[in-house]
Amino acid sequence: MNATRLDAVRRRRRVSPLLVGWLTAVWVALWGTLTVANVLTGIVSAVLMLVLLPLSPARDRLAFRPWGLARFVLRFALDLVVSSLRVAWQASWPGKLPRNSVLAVELAPRSDLLLTLTVLALNVLPGSIVIEIGRGRPTTLFIHALGADTPAAVAAARRAVVRLAARVVGAFGTRADRAGLEDPSLSARTPGEQP
Amino acid sequence: MRAGEFADGAAVGCLLAGCALAFVAGVGLSRFPDTLSRMHTVAKPQVLGLLLVTLGLGLRLRSGIDVGMLVMVAFFQLTTVPVATHLVGHAVYRLPHLPTGDLVVDELADRPDPAG
Repeated sequence: MNATRLDAVRRRRRVSPLLVGWLTAVWVALWGTLTVANVLTGIVSAVLMLVLLPLSPARDRLAFRPWGLARFVLRFALDLVVSSLRVAWQASWPGKLPRNSVLAVELAPRSDLLLTLTVLALNVLPGSIVIEIGRGRPTTLFIHALGADTPAAVAAARRAVVRLAARVVGAFGTRADRAGLEDPSLSARTPGEQP
Repeated sequence: MRAGEFADGAAVGCLLAGCALAFVAGVGLSRFPDTLSRMHTVAKPQVLGLLLVTLGLGLRLRSGIDVGMLVMVAFFQLTTVPVATHLVGHAVYRLPHLPTGDLVVDELADRPDPAG
């Protein structure tokens, strides 16, 4: 066995204590009672699982910025209520159903992990569902916007996506991610608006 | 027991509002003409409805371990539903003979598949 192979094996065996804690918490919650036996079997099965079925090593890092995170969570809760009520209204109001658009929105380049979080938040939020992701510089998201039937509504949908993406970076972005956000040539360009 | 009564009242409100949203999500599911629009009702009113129901249950049950379980439900709902809606939306858009609805603007139509 050569050195790189050994190194890979050693990396695979490394078990994150944070992940063990989380899995144990899930285990105990699912059993429904907090006992010493439950906690111990939880730890044993968590370690066993992480050793036998190791996750691929994470290359991307997230930063947790308390202020940005608080802002993101509060805005997320508010947006969830607003967009739910809006979809509920569009779905139940008798008469015309909303007409929709598929829009391309360019975002500053970001790590895979941060892009995943952005897409997760976007699918719940402001009247959009991400249906395609173009990885490149810049990253292009193709979103299905419910009720975006006028130029003003289309522009508003675009702005909402760009703002939400900026809030995700503000909450979880590393310094490099935030530097990308501040680059004006990349942050808010929208390809569809060019004639 | 005034605090308990207040929590029970709030629980009733949360449960009713959650059920109403879940019902409206069902209405949207049957009224919207195409799959992409339907995914919006799955992703938004349904998620908020379920969160309100779990909140209502938590306010009524008020025991640590039940609340732990409800937090798990809410967490996994918030992390799995967006993935499901994205996957369904992604798959539907690329299907040749499935209507994607009456799109006003479609900026993906004239592009080659960006993933491939």
